[in-house]
Amino acid sequence: MSVSVWAFSESPSVANEVASSASSIARAAGGSFTVIGLDDSGPLLAGEEKVVLKSDVPLSTSPEAAAGALAKFAREENPDVVLVGSTRDGKEIASRLAVKLGRPCVSEVFGASLGNGTLQGKRNVFAGKLVAEVAVPLPCVVALKVGTTSALPASEAAAREKAMGSLPSKTKLLEMREKQKGTVDLKGAKLIVAAGRGVKKKEDLAIVSELAAALGGAVGCSRPLSADMGWLPEEHHIGLTGVTVHPDLYIAVGISGQLQHVAGIKDSKVIAAVNTDKSAPMFEASDYGVVGDLYSVLPAMLRQIKARRQ
Amino acid sequence: MATYSAEQRRLMETFYPDHHEEYSEVLSSLGTFMEKELLPISPKIDTGEVKIAGPRKALLKQGMCQIAFPEEYGGLGLPFSVYAVAIEMLGTAEASTCLSVEIHNAVAEGLNRFATDAQKSRYLPGLLTGDSLASFTLTEPASGSDAGTMATTAEKKGGEYSINGSKMFITNAGEADLYLVFAKTKKGPSCFIVESPTPGLSFGGDLKKLGMRGSRTSEVVFSDCRIPEGNLVGEEGKGADYAKEILHGARIIVAALNVGIAQIAYEKSLAYARQRKAFGKTISEFQLIREKIADMKTDISAGRMLYLYASKVKESGADYSSEASQAKVFSTEMSLRVCDSAIQIHGGYGYTTDELHRHWRDARLLTIGEGTSEVLRLLIARRELARSQ
Amino acid sequence: MKIAVCVKHAVDETELKVDAGGNPQLKGAATRMSTFDKNAVEEALRLKAAHQGEVVIVTVGTPEAKKTMKEALAMGADRGVLVSADPMAIDTRRTAELLAAALKKGGPYDVVLCSEGSSDMYSGLVPPMVGELLDLPYVGYARRIEVSGQAAKVERALEDSVEVVEAPTPLVASVVSEINEPRYPTLIQIMQAGRKPVEELSAEALIPGAGQSVSLVRGMKAQAMARKRVVFEGPPEETAKKLLEALASEGVLPR
Repeated sequence: MSVSVWAFSESPSVANEVASSASSIARAAGGSFTVIGLDDSGPLLAGEEKVVLKSDVPLSTSPEAAAGALAKFAREENPDVVLVGSTRDGKEIASRLAVKLGRPCVSEVFGASLGNGTLQGKRNVFAGKLVAEVAVPLPCVVALKVGTTSALPASEAAAREKAMGSLPSKTKLLEMREKQKGTVDLKGAKLIVAAGRGVKKKEDLAIVSELAAALGGAVGCSRPLSADMGWLPEEHHIGLTGVTVHPDLYIAVGISGQLQHVAGIKDSKVIAAVNTDKSAPMFEASDYGVVGDLYSVLPAMLRQIKARRQ
Repeated sequence: MATYSAEQRRLMETFYPDHHEEYSEVLSSLGTFMEKELLPISPKIDTGEVKIAGPRKALLKQGMCQIAFPEEYGGLGLPFSVYAVAIEMLGTAEASTCLSVEIHNAVAEGLNRFATDAQKSRYLPGLLTGDSLASFTLTEPASGSDAGTMATTAEKKGGEYSINGSKMFITNAGEADLYLVFAKTKKGPSCFIVESPTPGLSFGGDLKKLGMRGSRTSEVVFSDCRIPEGNLVGEEGKGADYAKEILHGARIIVAALNVGIAQIAYEKSLAYARQRKAFGKTISEFQLIREKIADMKTDISAGRMLYLYASKVKESGADYSSEASQAKVFSTEMSLRVCDSAIQIHGGYGYTTDELHRHWRDARLLTIGEGTSEVLRLLIARRELARSQ
Repeated sequence: MKIAVCVKHAVDETELKVDAGGNPQLKGAATRMSTFDKNAVEEALRLKAAHQGEVVIVTVGTPEAKKTMKEALAMGADRGVLVSADPMAIDTRRTAELLAAALKKGGPYDVVLCSEGSSDMYSGLVPPMVGELLDLPYVGYARRIEVSGQAAKVERALEDSVEVVEAPTPLVASVVSEINEPRYPTLIQIMQAGRKPVEELSAEALIPGAGQSVSLVRGMKAQAMARKRVVFEGPPEETAKKLLEALASEGVLPR
């Protein structure tokens, strides 16, 4: 009796990452996996077994309708494990599926594997201070943490289409505004320089950007600079409720190092910090720290970087 | 750092076994407010970049000056020591604001004790919500400890008093809405309420102080300043007694304030000692640094206990003037010791970092203000010698 | 308008201690209202101010949760409902079922608000589960909510986009922390919060067998944070140099 795994995300790029996890989980357990897509996503998806669910209106615009379609199909096919990308909409879809199918559900899981009739994995808890081990009995719905595996490339295999009929949605989407994707994709960035409250004025972010540019990296920030002061768009906010990053080098400038921020940078290879406060928690979370004023240290760094290049 | 500490909580449990939970809830909430809203801007208040008016108003709105007042005027009816601990936390979070607030509160206490019901109903609610700010106006250019020699006069003219003279080193001068003014009538020093603005009331420029720089301090000048006779507080000639009584309470509060200043200087020193390396170790491993840490901690604990004990004596209704004086003399001098050690522990950074040495600068005022250490020592000794007879 | 807010009393992760073996000391750890719940309570209070009505705080918790209940009441909520169960001992679906049952019992509510996730577990599953269980419209990650008449217009903050969604009331929504700045309760409000009514419900009475659900969490341990923690102090030219050299030796500086 081989175990059957579904891989799904309402976002095709995340779906391919989930497919990658599903592939290793299923293979290790001697099972199979199917990638489930919505609407016309077939060509964008990875995996050899693809099923695309369709309805009279686009399912990708309503997590409720998408969950309805997935539940309907799941009742026919009975997959042992439904893996969903743990995006904001993904968690809603996973939650609804769990209730509709009467299955247990856990989110933000990484390092997942199958064994003893359960899906085992890990998730960060207490703002990343601890790692919890979870064991979810099969059949289950599990939302996998985004950004922990590389996505499989889209495959040329054709997707099977399934018409799911009309699916209700109690909410109506009026408008969708794509966020201005600046030059930033922090999730994939290899080098990040991030600014915190130690930067006194919005104009002073220039020195942080300059350092990032000199090192060929991206600019990020702690929550106060985006959410509270609006100095940078939300996509630059790194932390528990922002973006999780895993660069080779992360330089925190004028960031105190609250747990909520550090939770987003744990997987960085090397962490460095510049802060005037010797007792800032950021130093505990760093490999290298400079106790000093960023307004003097960053210019000094820039001078030396330029000098090296000559 | 400004939050309600485990030690403060334990002391409240000890002193109030039956009601400490309610007091701790109040203090914990205030502490969180102070830590989030006042502590981060405190360095900027010292440099003048940020003014205390806004933060002070927000703090008063939270209920800082309602704690120990009767509910009928908008108070919380809690014991005096709850207010004293709140002041300690404020001293840690933002010393200049603390000074301004405790002076304001002292005036409210004076009115609560000595004003008529009509006067209290008129002025107290606004003072308790922070809608109006008060200033204690006693000291003069030529009369400090010897307040009886004051030269400011209040002459009865028809249904009014005309106040003439000048006051000096007055906290909140120029910002306050209500001045509790001590001036001599034919019967001797008396106490008056002077609202601002009033013709004949003017102020000098903000004095440049060593510390407590966020708090406005200046001259107050009365030039035929007319107030209705109903603005007399209590009886003519009793002003000196009222001032003394108000100052006894204020001394406990000043002691708490300085314990708060010592506390933050101490916490910074601990953190620094743990980080700073010399000779291949952190300096916290050196015995002479450990001696300083131990002495600072003991000093602060003693100071805290003295002001809380004085508070309890005040609450009991007994004469607490000696306990209040002991607390003030000890804690103000102790805080200078602690802040000085803090500078020493921080080494070169201690001498060159405003954010650190301002604690000593702030603390330095209060061996002088609200009763000099010298005068208070005389009070303590007099009491002791009177008792053994 | 009747507004319910689902909150959680959680261990304060900033105060959580970990022993030498990396094991968390959860027993006796400091606890408080889950960080982002305050934003949900604040939003409910704003809705109450705009539309008249009452705000009811609902939580699944142990008796310790009364502390969080009191905090929410001090902010301005009117009354509370405490379902007696330990949310750490049951799984998320059971927690959602208990909340849904309590909401059904005390309802109908026009709006049910939750935070984007609890500060301890940050699953983000309970709000949509509650919506699904109550068969009500659910809108997640709201950064702006406007209610007029029988409908709500909600701006949702997603990873790459902002959606504007319309939903009829009654509805369930989760709010992001950016939605508002929670107010501080004044001292008077804190002292009076104890007088506001809190109804206690037994989990067993709401859902027979409720206590038998078991948490899916098998154990928790501290992350091995083996950071080097090397700190440079001194004049900026010196420390900048040392830092760059260290980073170069780690191989993380570009050529």
